[in-house]
Amino acid sequence: MDNAGSTVLHLLWVFAQLSVLGFGGGKGIIPQMHADATRYGWVTSDQFSQFYTIGKLVPGPTTIFAALIGYSAMPARPYIGAAVATIGMFVPSSLIMVAFDSLWDRFQASPWRSILSRGLTPAIVGLVWSSVWTISRGTTVLTLPPGSLGMLVSLGVVAVVMLLMLRTKLSTPLLILLAGGVGVVALR
Amino acid sequence: MSAETQSPSLPRIALTFATISSTAFGGGQKASVRQAVLTHGWMDRERFMDGLEISQVLPGPNILNLALYCGQRARGIPGAIAAFIGASVPPFIIVLIAGALYFKYASNPFVHGALRGCAVGALGLTVGNALELTWDERSDWLRILLVVVTGLVVSLLHMPLLLVLVIFGGIGIVHEYLRTRKKADG
Repeated sequence: MDNAGSTVLHLLWVFAQLSVLGFGGGKGIIPQMHADATRYGWVTSDQFSQFYTIGKLVPGPTTIFAALIGYSAMPARPYIGAAVATIGMFVPSSLIMVAFDSLWDRFQASPWRSILSRGLTPAIVGLVWSSVWTISRGTTVLTLPPGSLGMLVSLGVVAVVMLLMLRTKLSTPLLILLAGGVGVVALR
Repeated sequence: MSAETQSPSLPRIALTFATISSTAFGGGQKASVRQAVLTHGWMDRERFMDGLEISQVLPGPNILNLALYCGQRARGIPGAIAAFIGASVPPFIIVLIAGALYFKYASNPFVHGALRGCAVGALGLTVGNALELTWDERSDWLRILLVVVTGLVVSLLHMPLLLVLVIFGGIGIVHEYLRTRKKADG
């Protein structure tokens, strides 16, 4: 099989696994996605963090940024790569959802519904903390020399955005763009 | 007038979710789906709330799962396919446009600075999200402990996701099961 063909299958396989393990809306898959995408040389850590950012900036599910990893993985055929990664990311979980629809009514009164979802939550939240670490590795919080002005500005922006998110109703894309404005001035 | 539920056409389903998926962010998406589905009488409120729960329990983006549920309840498998197309194609096209711009302009110093700033902003949002989710667990020290241990093990030892879900998800499920039983007995 030629190189492009094997990359297509590889993308499908990696994203399909992430798809079926994407409990909690897919919030927990970021560390594994980063590990796979950097190990196979599809993206750098910097690119991963920036693609994740674009995923948060555009409407729809954040995990649509899988398309950008596919795009980057197949430089000669970027649109194929993007489509394949997106299919891998969205189709398997969708098949599970559709298959469960009829089964679900039978569990209508079952306590297992809440036991499963509540039971998985702490692990998902731990994975979100791990995503914080994953994403920070590709940002100027960690890529600039410790104590440098850019690094300190970055830490300040993290703190301010976090507070604005928790204390105000400002929208996600607006907060990201505000941080981008600071970046144009201070992080060139 | 709309007390009776009425099935939407397939293009109607696709268009509804295409509109929502290309305009709504985060939590606003669920509210938009709720409004679209309930005001047009696709299903009753109870059914919708049920779907909201299922879409959060099963793997996959909540908004996509919710779209699939609504499409399938309204028109069966064809409805689910229409909902899938509506909910996934517009974000795909939007993110591709963003990606094409990224690869064209990322080396420009101003764009480069903006991207670095945006990534730091997205990091701040993720920290805020992690704090909120952890705060929700504060009533049970064992759940907080699970959050901390999972976070550390994944970050430091790079434990594979499947193993994380089996081990730490498993412990959480057993703990929740025992808690429910104790409550039922007491």
